[in-house]
Amino acid sequence: MNAQSRVIAPAELGNSLRQAGGDPLDRRSRLRFFNSTFKVLCVSAAVFVCLVLFGILILMFKTGVMTFETVSFKEFFFSTNWDPENGHFGALLFIFGTFALTGLTLVLAVPIAVLIAVFLAEITPVWLRDTLRPIMDLLVGIPSVVYGYLGLTILIPMLRELTGRDLADGLLAAAIVLAIMVLPTIARISDDAISAVPKKYRDASYALGSTRFQTIFRVVLPAARSGIVYAVILGMARAIGETMAVVMVIGNTPQLADSLFTPTAVLTSNIVMQITSVEFDSTWNYALYLMGFLLLAISLLLIVAVRLLQKKGAKAS
Amino acid sequence: MKKWFKPAALVALAVSLAAGGASVASAASSLKGKIVINGSSALLPLTLQAKSEFQKLNPKVKISASAVSSIAGPQSVRKGIADIGAVDWDASTDVPGFKKFDGQVANPVAVTVFAAVANKNVSVSNLTTKQLQDIFSGKITNWKDVGGSDANIVVVNRKFGSGTRVNFQLKALEGKDFMTKGDNYKETGSSGDMKTAIETTPNAIGYIDLPYVTDKMKALSINGAAPTEKNVLNGTYKVWGIGYFMTKGQPTGATKAFIEYIQSAKFQNGSLKKLKFIPLAAVK
Repeated sequence: MNAQSRVIAPAELGNSLRQAGGDPLDRRSRLRFFNSTFKVLCVSAAVFVCLVLFGILILMFKTGVMTFETVSFKEFFFSTNWDPENGHFGALLFIFGTFALTGLTLVLAVPIAVLIAVFLAEITPVWLRDTLRPIMDLLVGIPSVVYGYLGLTILIPMLRELTGRDLADGLLAAAIVLAIMVLPTIARISDDAISAVPKKYRDASYALGSTRFQTIFRVVLPAARSGIVYAVILGMARAIGETMAVVMVIGNTPQLADSLFTPTAVLTSNIVMQITSVEFDSTWNYALYLMGFLLLAISLLLIVAVRLLQKKGAKAS
Repeated sequence: MKKWFKPAALVALAVSLAAGGASVASAASSLKGKIVINGSSALLPLTLQAKSEFQKLNPKVKISASAVSSIAGPQSVRKGIADIGAVDWDASTDVPGFKKFDGQVANPVAVTVFAAVANKNVSVSNLTTKQLQDIFSGKITNWKDVGGSDANIVVVNRKFGSGTRVNFQLKALEGKDFMTKGDNYKETGSSGDMKTAIETTPNAIGYIDLPYVTDKMKALSINGAAPTEKNVLNGTYKVWGIGYFMTKGQPTGATKAFIEYIQSAKFQNGSLKKLKFIPLAAVK
């Protein structure tokens, strides 16, 4: 061999991989072994997660549908008479309560959260923004039981003073607690969405002579819309599944909420109150599982919605 | 060469200390085991007190106690999650609302006194059985109808499955039903939640067992008798029940020793009395 053949041409790179060597433990078979093992590990981890999810779904569904052996479909979904001790399983009041509570929470939280996000992304000086953002991130991590306890001991007596009610437990109290809980989530994600709007949009808007207010509300917010909707849906998913804080302030009474201050119950609060007290093999138990399945289905739908929105947002930009 | 000497000496020291400690412990008790207790939140103060005393005597016994509601006690014993199910009624027999638990033995541990309690701002201090029935069933809705000031009554109830609820319904309301709906009606999950609700809600009435009664609430007399040990013993106060530790079959090993410790005269007349329970021997 002469010295020249030692210089490997670029085309020859990887040749040692393409050509089978005589040694069983050469670089090529070793790499192939590790690559395929790694691939199998990754795929099986993904399959495992899917199996767990489907396992939960199927278990909840299978146990849940056993309700209909004794309770009619119509009664469960369209009756508000929840009196399991006497064989009445009308879950409409919980379903209504869940949607009413989530809706009310968003009505309270979204405008404030978006304004906070605008303030953080557009108005505040940099040093204040850099202090506020980590604080907002910390707020997300406060355990919900803390919010619930504050609601029980501070908010409810305040509501009683303001409204003159004897018992202020109900949708409004729960919605205020939840709104405070989801506020940092929605605000921070909206903040990121607003910050991601290219500077040239703002420059163009100012160049056309618009005020700061017009720039923010006519240009920046519409441009960040899909990100803000994404934030709202994430906040909504958190509000729908929240249990601890809600159970402390909603009153836990199985009746349809005909006012903001009627003690009532939602899917989560009713499940957590009763699941420990019911017979294992009873319609009551199955009905609670079915309510859990409903909750799971709603959350999954929301997650799917978030994914679809994300795709749409990606295409638009 | 000397590098290994120091760690080795430390290890030897630790081993000899551990052995010494173990021999001291085994001098106190050779009982080993793990006891899981679940069930009544009314009995929880007693269980926790007994747990810390018993563990001092038997350091090798691990006890974990938690409370959800009475019915969860025998149910978790049946499922095999717990060794002891604390419950406020004899769950080896049928009671209204709950079937008996076959194969479980009820070991009596304490007499629990239940009191009707009201928020501090309520001026009424005595109610008759009839008045209690009417208040809790929703017929009387204003404190002025029972001799108080003109204010709506807020009824706080425990959730279904609570032993305090079973006892209160049987003995204070003489079996009459509770209301279940209304603007001034709410339900709470545990004795602790009930305590918070009564303390913080003006014009509220509820019921709780004596160990949870604080000076931030008012224990009401029933038919002229205040909820005290004296009145239970002389028969004028009727709202009390016996708390049980349910076990799968007869208790054995550490579980048996623990139950016997609670039933012993020393615990019954000592810590149990201090917690405002009444010794079993006193009422039988």
